[in-house]
Amino acid sequence: MDRRLFLKVCTAVALAPPSLFKGFVRAEESQFKPYKKALLVKEDGTPLRPEEVDPKKQYLFFYPYRSTPCLLADLGKEVKPVQVKTQNGDPYTWPGGVGPKKSIVAFSAICTHQLSYPTPDQSFINYYPSGMVAKMSKRDKVIQCCAHMSAFDPERGGEVISGPAPFPLTAIVLAYEEGKLYALGTLGKEVFEDFFDAFKPDLRKMYGSSRRAKELVDVCEVVDLESYTKEVIRC
Amino acid sequence: MGNISRRDVFKIAGVGAILGSTHLYTASVWAAKRPDRMLPPPKGNRVVIVGGGWAGVTAAKYIKKEMPSAEVVLIEKRKIFMSCPISNVWLGGLVEMDFLMHDFHTPASKYGYTFINATVLDIDRGKRRVYTDQGYIDYDYAIIAPGIGYNYDAWFDGDKDMARYCATHFPSAFIPGSEHVTLKRKVHNFEEGTFVLVVPPPPHRCPPAPYERAAMIAYVFKKNGVKGKLIILDPKEDIKPKGPGFRNAYIELYGGLVEYVPNAKIKEVDPVKKVIKTTAGEFRFDDANLNPPHRAGDLVWKVGLVNPKTGWCDVDPLTLQSKIDPRIFIAGDAASVKGFPKSGDMAHNHTQTMVVKALVALMKGKDPKEAVRSPTNTCYSMVNGDPKEAIVINVIYAIDRKKGVPVKKKVNVENKRSSQLARATFEWARALYRDMFS
Repeated sequence: MDRRLFLKVCTAVALAPPSLFKGFVRAEESQFKPYKKALLVKEDGTPLRPEEVDPKKQYLFFYPYRSTPCLLADLGKEVKPVQVKTQNGDPYTWPGGVGPKKSIVAFSAICTHQLSYPTPDQSFINYYPSGMVAKMSKRDKVIQCCAHMSAFDPERGGEVISGPAPFPLTAIVLAYEEGKLYALGTLGKEVFEDFFDAFKPDLRKMYGSSRRAKELVDVCEVVDLESYTKEVIRC
Repeated sequence: MGNISRRDVFKIAGVGAILGSTHLYTASVWAAKRPDRMLPPPKGNRVVIVGGGWAGVTAAKYIKKEMPSAEVVLIEKRKIFMSCPISNVWLGGLVEMDFLMHDFHTPASKYGYTFINATVLDIDRGKRRVYTDQGYIDYDYAIIAPGIGYNYDAWFDGDKDMARYCATHFPSAFIPGSEHVTLKRKVHNFEEGTFVLVVPPPPHRCPPAPYERAAMIAYVFKKNGVKGKLIILDPKEDIKPKGPGFRNAYIELYGGLVEYVPNAKIKEVDPVKKVIKTTAGEFRFDDANLNPPHRAGDLVWKVGLVNPKTGWCDVDPLTLQSKIDPRIFIAGDAASVKGFPKSGDMAHNHTQTMVVKALVALMKGKDPKEAVRSPTNTCYSMVNGDPKEAIVINVIYAIDRKKGVPVKKKVNVENKRSSQLARATFEWARALYRDMFS
């Protein structure tokens, strides 16, 4: 994320008159929420360089908590900032892609409809790269969840294209500094608390306790989703 | 016992005891309503929801989420929830009954609505009062979600003895409970001969369900080496929806076991002699799943909210308010909205995006029609058990604000069965159960 744009996103929200926000939820949906600044690294621990991100693949990392999965993708071309439409009509500015081509984006991989997310066994929510057309939404360059067919637009800040999802995917705000990629925080409505609540038994099994599942991270290992999960479910 | 586990029987015993066959003989029960007031008078924001199926449970949660100050009361006669969606998969022995069973108390406690385990006997719409077998509750607004009832009269012309005989010996199993266990036992114990499955005429609960059920029965027959066949008697001229997907499964997976008979409108059913006369010929059977036509659940008939010409409730197609009484919303299968199938997913979806949105807007003094959002409907059908394989249909609706109706915007169908779609079937269900009950 460009530093100027980053500041713009923050200040636009901070300076907005209270009348713009007709309730806590609306304000929350529109705000950039900073978490720990986390370096994106490869499996060997070295920083992930943008040119190592294959536009034909989808990648997974966990942020801002150690248990909350995110999808990372190179959309292959510059992705410009856009106003993201939300359920209640208050748009927010999503800063677009990062990296030398401004083409790398990331979103929370928890479906905002019913919280389906990639597990080591299977992933129902996936990115369909350029040339891979999703059968249900009939388009490529889409993030689609096969549980109930919600489709999201990664070029437009995760906006809902179709399906029952009530609001966009939570965007992960990235930064590109001196050849390295960082995650800075989130933009848009979050579903992390619902996620922790809904999958408590699974998270306890995987991380030992809810508390451990909720630990914030400052380094994110980025992996090829196909190697993380046994089966990528596409539809 | 077939493939029904001992645990399943214990679980279902509770459900069956509550459900019984009250939908057939309700008249004597109406007299048992008690005069006790169960809750203090409402303060203008009380919503009483009658029926804790997919629509009712969804309504209770989302009203509280969207308007925490609303007083929400959910009344349900069953002590435990059993899901009709995925019950065919259970019939095929592919999931345990645990998967279908859920409790009412966890979501009531979590979302802050009142759950009352009682049977609603009558509603005085003038007084806005719901009578139960434990007392009465007054409402400001009501959501009635009674599900379906069986119209045995269409077959037996008021002969209650014959209707009872048919329901007892060849239960339909489209209303969750004891009937499902009976059907599973029949299917898993069947050794040879002819098993008939009658597809009810549309509109009926879950349009693809009879065909999915046929696939699961055929799967069990194939696994068990049954010497005989499954005959599907369909009043329609073809399988719909997902016709190619079901047809291919019948031919490719169960060739010789399944005989599909289109245009078989029922002329006469004799459950004693085990003969069915249809417009496509006469069929004798050794055992059967006899599904009479469906209609709205009994309660809405009792309180005068049904259009007798259709058997369903006429509603505003955007808000699902009863056209007879706009204080009452009809959610789920009992409502008649053009283009909406009567399914669990549709009930969950239209309740959340239309009924709840409209009702909350109304309580806040806003335009309910403006608040409504467009629903979607996704329906998976399992067609094979080994390996598990499914097909799917997904319908996206749009709201035509000018005409004030929902319209189908896009229909996506995947008729090529796959293991991936089978896994998605389970995720579809898990996610919705989680939404309603966890």
